[in-house]
This record gives sequence, C-alpha cells and structure tokens, in this order.
Amino acid sequence: MLQIEPLVIITILVPWIGALVVWLIGDRHEKIQHVCAVVFSTTAAISSIAMLWVYRSGTVLSFSMGSSYGNFSFVTDGLGLFLATVATVIGALTIIFSVDYMRGSAQLGRYYSFVLFFIGAMVGLVLTSNLLLMFIFWEITALCSYALISFYNDDPKAVSGGIKALIITQVGGLGLLLAAALMYAYTGSFDINIFISNPSLFPSNILGVMAFGMLIAAAAKSAQFPFQTWLPDAMEAPSPISALIHAATMVNAGVYLLARFYPAFKDVPGWTLSVMIVGMLSALMAALMALVANDLKRVLAYSTVSQLGYMVYAVGAGGILASQFHLFSHSVFKALLFLAAGAVIHSVGTRDMREMGGLGKELPFARTVFIIGSLALAGIPILNGFWSKELILEAGLEHGNPIWIYVVMLIVAGLTALYTIRCVWMVFYGEKKQGQHIHPIGRNMKIALTPLAIGALTTWILIGPFSKMMSLSLPVHFIQEIDLGQLFNHVVFAPATWIALAVIALGIMTWFGKPALSGIQEILKPIAGIAQESFGFERINKFIVDATQGMGENLRTTQTGKLNWNVFYILVALVVVFAVLMIGA
Amino acid sequence: MNISTSMIVLTAVMGLFGIGLYCLLITRNLIRVLVGLQIMVKGAMLVLVFVGQSQGQPSLGQSMALTVIVADTIVAVVGLALAVQVKRSIGTLDIADISKLKR
Amino acid sequence: MDVNTAFSWLLIFPMISSAVIYLVGRTFSRSVKIENRTNPARWLALLALLVTGVFLYFVIKNVFSTGQTHYQNFGEVWFRFDGISLLLSLLVLVLGILVTIYSFTYVGKEPGEEKFYALLVIMIGAINGLGCALDLFNLWVWFEVMTISSIVLVAFYKDQAASLEAGVKYLIQSATGSVMVVLGIALIFLETGTLNIETLRMSISSPTPFLIIGGALMVIGFGVKIAMVPLHTWLPDAHSQAPSGISAMLSGVVIEVGLIALLRALGGIALSGGRWGYLLIGFGVLNMIVGNLLALRQKEVKRMLAYSSLSHVGYMLLGFGVLISLNGLMAGVGAIFHLITHGLMKSLAFLAAGVFLYNFHISKGSHKPLILDDLNGASRKYPFTAFAFSIALLSLGGLPPLAGFMSKWQLLAGVAQTQNTIMIVLVVFAGLMSVLSLGYYAPLVNRMYRKEPAAIVMEGEPVSIWMYIPMVILTLAVVVLGFVPSILYWLTGPAGYSLFIFFGQ
Repeated sequence: MLQIEPLVIITILVPWIGALVVWLIGDRHEKIQHVCAVVFSTTAAISSIAMLWVYRSGTVLSFSMGSSYGNFSFVTDGLGLFLATVATVIGALTIIFSVDYMRGSAQLGRYYSFVLFFIGAMVGLVLTSNLLLMFIFWEITALCSYALISFYNDDPKAVSGGIKALIITQVGGLGLLLAAALMYAYTGSFDINIFISNPSLFPSNILGVMAFGMLIAAAAKSAQFPFQTWLPDAMEAPSPISALIHAATMVNAGVYLLARFYPAFKDVPGWTLSVMIVGMLSALMAALMALVANDLKRVLAYSTVSQLGYMVYAVGAGGILASQFHLFSHSVFKALLFLAAGAVIHSVGTRDMREMGGLGKELPFARTVFIIGSLALAGIPILNGFWSKELILEAGLEHGNPIWIYVVMLIVAGLTALYTIRCVWMVFYGEKKQGQHIHPIGRNMKIALTPLAIGALTTWILIGPFSKMMSLSLPVHFIQEIDLGQLFNHVVFAPATWIALAVIALGIMTWFGKPALSGIQEILKPIAGIAQESFGFERINKFIVDATQGMGENLRTTQTGKLNWNVFYILVALVVVFAVLMIGA
Repeated sequence: MNISTSMIVLTAVMGLFGIGLYCLLITRNLIRVLVGLQIMVKGAMLVLVFVGQSQGQPSLGQSMALTVIVADTIVAVVGLALAVQVKRSIGTLDIADISKLKR
Repeated sequence: MDVNTAFSWLLIFPMISSAVIYLVGRTFSRSVKIENRTNPARWLALLALLVTGVFLYFVIKNVFSTGQTHYQNFGEVWFRFDGISLLLSLLVLVLGILVTIYSFTYVGKEPGEEKFYALLVIMIGAINGLGCALDLFNLWVWFEVMTISSIVLVAFYKDQAASLEAGVKYLIQSATGSVMVVLGIALIFLETGTLNIETLRMSISSPTPFLIIGGALMVIGFGVKIAMVPLHTWLPDAHSQAPSGISAMLSGVVIEVGLIALLRALGGIALSGGRWGYLLIGFGVLNMIVGNLLALRQKEVKRMLAYSSLSHVGYMLLGFGVLISLNGLMAGVGAIFHLITHGLMKSLAFLAAGVFLYNFHISKGSHKPLILDDLNGASRKYPFTAFAFSIALLSLGGLPPLAGFMSKWQLLAGVAQTQNTIMIVLVVFAGLMSVLSLGYYAPLVNRMYRKEPAAIVMEGEPVSIWMYIPMVILTLAVVVLGFVPSILYWLTGPAGYSLFIFFGQ
C-alpha cells in the first residue's frame, strides 16, 4: 500500500537528484538533459498526487538536527499538500513546455538544474513544520529564482532584475528569520504546529514582532506593497520560469505563510487589518499599473501582484479557504497565461504588445488557451477564477471587516476585467502589424498548455475534496468543509456575486466604450502617469541603492593607504576605547 | 622600590612610548619609522623589567624583556630587509610614495 | 603514544621541521641546476604537516578518552589543551595541508620556494602553540612568531613594489599592535603578579585602572591583527598582495587566531567587569557595516574578499561579545562555528580567485591584480573553478543550504536567545548586513556565467591538478556542512564551552 513517508521524501529529493543528474550530464548532451528533466519532474508530480490519497495530519517524518536547528520535521496537512501538488504538477508542465521553449539554448544544464532544485525546495517549504527549515527552503527558492531570472547573464537588465529580486526577498526574509530566532529564543523549538496552537506562550509584544515580521516576509515574497517592484523586473527570466516561479508557486509562499500562521496572529492588535490593507493596496496599484503597461509579460506580472493582493486580503479577512482556493485557481490560470504568452513571445520574438496585434489568426491555439486563462482571470463564470474570487469577496463581508476595503476590492475586480480585455485585444485582435515573422507553436508547448486550459475551466469542481482535506487536517484553522452544491448556493444566491459581476461587466464595457468615455480618460490621465512611474516605488528603490553605493564610495576615500594615517587610526581607536571604558566604569 | 622611582620609570616608559608613536605618526622616511618602532619597543622592555622588579620576580621580568629583545630584533631585521628591497625596487624610502595600495 | 610526548612534539615538531625544510630546499636549489626538477621542500612540508597531524591525533584521542583538558608545563610555563586549542589546531592543520598542496603549482616556479614552505610550517606551528598557551607572555611569543612569519609570507614576491608595500604596512602596524600587547601584559602583571591566565582569573576581585588600561591595550593590540575597524587598514593590502594560498591562510585562520588570543587574554581579566563583551559587540557592528560598504564598490577581486573578511569578523565579534557579556553560550558556539565555516569558505574563495589570478597573470609573469572584468564568462573555460567560487561566494553571503548560512544562523539564534531588545535589533542588523553583502557577491557570480568570455579568460592557462584537489575538498566541505551542520558539534561544542567557563560569572 502507499505510505506517506517515502512519498514525502521522493517528492522533495527526486527533483534534487534530477538537478544533480542534469547538471552532471553536461551541456553537450542536450537531448538527454531534456528527457531527464521531464522524467524527474513528472516522477515528483506523480508522487505528490499520490500523497493526496494518503495524507494525514500530524508529523510524518522527523530528523533530529541538534541544539540550534531543532527537529527537521514534515507534516502533510491540506495547506501544504495541495501547494506541493501545484508546485510539482505545474513544475512538470513547465518543464515539458521548456523542451520546446529552451531548445538550443546555451547552458541548459544550469537552467534545468535550478528549475528542478526549485521544485524540490518549494515542496519542502510547504511540507515542513520546522520554521527554520521553512526559512531555509524559503531562501533556497529565492536563490533559484535569482539564478533563473538572471539566466541570460549577458543581459544587464536580467542581471539587475535577478539581484533586485534576491535582495528584496532577502530583506523580507529577515522578518521570517527574526520570527524563527524569537520562536527559538522563547520556546527552544521550531515546531510550527505547537506554536500556532499555543501562541499565548509568548509575551504579547514578542508575538506582535513575530506577526509583523512574518507579514514583511510574506509581502516581500509575494511581491506585495511595498515590495512589489521586484516582480515586474523578474520578467527578464525565460517565460516558463515566469509561469512556474513568478506566478504559480514561489510568489504564493507569502500567502501560504500568512495562512499558515493566521490562527496564531489573528489576535495581535492591528495585524489582520494591516494584512487586508497590504492586500488591498497591492491589488489596486498593480491593477492600475497593468492598465497602462505595454509589455505583455509585465502586464501579467502586475496582474499576478494584483491577484496575490486578493489572496492576502482574504487571509486578513479570515477567509483562509477562500484565499487558498483562489491561490489554486490562480496558479492554474496564471501559469496558463504565462505559458501561452511565452508561446506567443517565442513565435513573434517581441514582448511589446504594441508590436503585436491580429495574432489570433496565425496562432489559433494560443489564442484559445490565452482567452480561457483571461476569462478566468477576469472572473467570468463558470471558470475557476470566478468561483474563488467570489468566495474572497464574500469573506470580505464577513467577520465585521471594514466595508471600504471591500469596495476597493470590488473596483479592482472591474479593473482586472478591463486590463485583461485590453491585453487580449492588443495581442490577438486589432489590426495586424507589418513585417512579422511568426514561428509555429511547438508540440511540447501544446502538451503543456492543454491540461492547464482544461484546469482553468474545471478545477472549481474540486472544492469538495479540497475543503474536506483542509478542514480535516488543520484543526486550529477552523476551516469549514463545503461541497459543490453548497459552493453553488453560496455563490449564486449571494447578492455580492451579482454586484461583482456587474462591476466586471462594467469593466469590460469600458474597454469597448472607450471612445465614448474620453472625458473620463482625461480625468484619469494623471493617475495613469503615476501608475507608469510605479507610484514612485522604483524611485525609492533607486534612491536606497544609490545612497548605499555612494556611502561605500565615500567611505573608500578614507582608506588612504598612507602608513601615517593608518597608525593614526590605531591611536584614535586606542583613545576611544579608553574613553569608552572609563565612561562605562 | 619606592614610589618616586616607580614614577620616574613609568614616566620614562610613557615618554618612550609617546616619542615612538609620535615618530610613527609624522615621519615619512621608512628607516625613521622603524626607528620610531624601536623606541616604542624599548619602552615596553623597560616596563617589563620594572614590573618584574616591583613584583619581586626580577628574573621573570628580565627574561621577558630578553624575549622581547629577541622578537624585536627579528622584526627589525625583517623590517630593514624590506626597506632594502623597497629602496631597490621602488627607488624611494618615503612612505608617502609607498601608498599605491589604497581604497 | 603518551599524551605528554605527543603534546611536546606537537609544539616542537613544526619548528624543527621548518628548519629542515629550509636547509634541504636551499641546498637543493643551490646545487641542482636542472630546471625541471621539483624542489623536495614541498614534499617535506606536506610530510611535516601530516606528522604534526599524527601528534595532534594522539593528543585529541587522549583528551576525548579522559574527557578532560590536558595540562602540561615546561618549567614555569603552563599549557592547556582544551576545546579552543583543539579547534584551532585542527582548522589550521587542515587548511595548512590544503594550502601546501595548492601552492605546489602556485609558487612552484618562484625562486625561494623553500622559504615559503618553511615559513608556512612555522606559522602553522605557532598557531598550534598559541591555541594551547596558558601564560599571557607565552601567548604573546607565539603570536609574534606567527606575525613575523606571515609578514615575510605576505612580502613573498620580493621584487614586486605592491607586495613590498603591503609587507611594510603590515609589519609596522602589527609591530605597533604587539608593543601595545606587551605593555598591556606588563600592566596586568604589575597589578596581579601572575601571568598564568587561570591564576589571574582567581586573583582578580575588582576592576582597577591598571587592569582596565591593560585590557584596553590588549584589545587594541590584538585588534590590529583581528582587523577591527578602524585598525584594519593593513588587511586589504596584505590579503590582496600575498600569494593566494597565504591569503587563504591569513583570512581563514590568522585573523581569527588574533581573536582567539584576545579572548584568551580577556578571559584572565574578565571578572574586572562585564564591559569587554559590549566593547567587542561595538567593534563587531562597526566591522560589519564598514567591511560591507568598502567591499561594495571594490573592483579588485582579492581586495573585495579581504574587505568581506572584515564583515565576517564582525559576526564573530558579535557572537563572542554576547558570550562574554550576556552569558550567551549558544552565541559563542555559533561564533566558533562561523569561525570554522568562514575559514573554509573564505579559503575556498581565495584559492579559487587565486586559480584565476595564477592562470591569467602570474603564470605569464605578470603581477597585475585580478579585477572583476577579468572574470566575465569564466565558467566557459574554468567550469569547476567558477562553480567552486560561486559556492564560496554564495555561502559567504549566507544563502542556504550552504555552510555560511548555518553558522550565521546559529550565531544569530544564540544572540536572539538572550531575549535582550538591543540584541534582537542587532540580529536584524546583522541579517541586513548579510543581505547587503549579496550586493557584491551576487554580481560577481553572474559575471562568471556570462556567455561571452573576456579575452583574458580564453587566453588563460589550464588549471593544474594540485590546485583542483584542495578546491574540491573545500567545496565539498562547504556544501556538506550546509546540509548537516551537526557533524561538527563535537568540535564547536567543547570549544564554546572552553570559552564559556572563562567568562561565565
């Protein structure tokens, strides 16, 4: 019979072994590398799907690491397990996609190794119940993300994008590091489940520090306000990477973290409100930026930030199930969108939407799947995005949450529909541009895209088992089990749904009615300008970087290299130390 | 040893130390810098002999001072050898000119 | 073997063998005119270090079987072989052997090869002795031997202006520092009448001005060697100009040895107040920030690595400071673990940088420094070296799952364990500094994986097998320690505890 313990190990280690194997094969045997990567990632995907049948709550595996590292233990509860499945399945599909996308690319070994390394680390991140180990996996995913964003090292934009992503997620990671250190300092253990069942063990101020530390970590990882700037720049990565890491898996880690620790922190004053506001601001600003961006992948990146904002908001509003369900839907349709966009970019050779247009006839398959993804993103029934987004909006009305945040989120739903249709229109419809040479879409690309498109249409049917798994295995999260009929009743007969649909419809109509609305456009122009400037956050980033570099440069001038000065520094240090000791005494 | 002697010795030590440090701070000729170093070390030797004496373990103090002399001689030898090489390959002993490595 | 004999030989053997290495090597290089014969000095050096390792093994075996520290005296001078000695001897011997092997090629064509090996062996011997010295003055003597040998090694390329300059600066500043140490020792002796650290500890009851001044002089004196900011000015010069194997030793062990010496010395007078730890923490903070900022805009690879050593010493100072002033045993153990991992990864970084430097410049008779642009696309021609260098850099930057992360983590967790608000702020600060350091490590890694290699890379010579061996071993060590940090508990635990009992109130 299937056992859960070996499956956990297989799902984490098989991709890692695969990474090693692909790297050792060497770049001279490209074919074997492709085959190996596909085989290893598919094995992991199958093993993680198998886990869905044998999951159970409680620690399944534990390795003692001694004093300051705690027990490296793994649990297979609903929250982690479904993310592990998403990571491996979408990972396998992106690798299949990559076979066509990356064919003939140099340093293929490095590419596949990091992707496989990432998949294993992502699975580890969501399955471990040791906060330190979670942090380790957290950082490994950041490392892989950095390495893959700057995969094209000759391109300075790719390099700076990678380093930016690395630095920002690391700064955020400090919040997690601090939380882990404090957890260890006050309990001597790293076990997450013990912690979330008894948060009262901690003094309230320490718990507050941990709560907000985790919020910072989550915001940086999920590209939320005020750390959202790295994700658009991360689009220099090859498209499959954007689909896997920057849409479907790694960026969800922040939401996962918040959801995981929600029971412990929900009573920290101001925390849930802060989470909701962070989600709201990210959703709103990113949607506005998506509206004015012209780079296809950047539009998708902004929309990822925006949708992640929804999930963060849902966690803050207490709708863990809603946020996780939207995470699930989003992973599927956003991976689909990115891969389809990758296929389009691969065919056309540009990412600028103004140079596309009228591609629908040449690339009918891409058009079909892209539109399915877009409709899901816009929240059109009956696609999966619709159900999960409605659940989120409903959660926003429960638990006495502030109504104004809900209203903003509603407006964002309209904006989402607007920028989605704009994007689809600019790429596939409108007039055809001259002088384009269009490659056909490869077979492996289609193999990867088809299941995702089917998924975007159907994953909402899984709400029954999904919520059952969550509610059974997460006792302290108090998640309610709902089946398909309840979901249907819940959504269809709620007035909120119809309001949301009306807003979405309004968004779509705005696009078609835009000549008539030129007055409103004029009013919105300044906002568009600010949105194009990323609301000044790029400038803040640049200022910090420049200030640090300038400080380094200025400090260098104190290193005169003259012996007299060096001896003088020694004397100064001596005097200062004397003074400090005398005052201290 | 009475108080005044101690004071005299300690003042001498401070003086030697100060002269040496001053020399290190302002002179630019490498040989003079080494001489300044030597003066500082002489202060250290003196203080070692003195503390041995005042703790009633004169032989220990003296042996320590001797060890310092040996170590210091080696430092001086290495320093002077370097100075010779510096003169040969750079052509100057001015330490302001031996400051290509910086920043 | 009897433990007393083994211990005596552990101290004496490197000194004797160093003389033998020099004499044999010198005779050989004078008498044999055939160019292609290898100098036997290198094999003798390797043999000497291996034999020293055997003596060390017997001492360790005894210490572990009895479970007690080993005391031994030569006349009035006492030695104590405890956790710290064990750690230091083992680290220096392992790195020494690797560097010796590495240098077979690196200094193989230089005149005066035998001097290099003789001095290297003497330096390692001195560090062995320093780790066990229980007498303040004796500590200073070993320290001085180590310093002098390392000065000559830094100025090994005695026709190169830059390396002479580095040697001169190193000499003057170290000598200034060591005079201060002597003065400090004298003042402490004047106050207490003893030099034995353990007796000293018992004879002190209250802080007196002489003790504080003496302690301050020792902090500054050893501080020059530890490269505490702003006493660090010799370090980037010396580390960048020395032959790369020596850079690895200097950065990986020698500056840390200064730290251990300082801790030993302070251990004697620690009861004169708890402020010494705060002083070290202060210097640690300064070191982290200045080291990182100076490295940020650095164009020369080895100088950048040298400045990064400053920031890593800062982490250790922080850990040891917490151990001293706040009774943080865990932080001390973490600092010791970081000392080991830093020794391994920084050596690896210097050795890998040395491979590039040697094959791009030195083997062609040029002594230009290795600048960042030289490394563009280096992975094309030197895949393994570039990989090892990347591992070392990312580990230095504290990225899991590499050794550097694990040790930083242990250190910071220990600091947080004090539950002191300022210390918790410092944890965040140290983490931030670690992120800042990625600002200069990461671009370097990216550089090496460009597709278009620099011209100098394609003209580079192939790497010799002797350079590969130590790099492979160190790379493995850095990766394995990242996955299973617990395999070094037997080493870090006792070492931390040895320090702790000195400072524990």
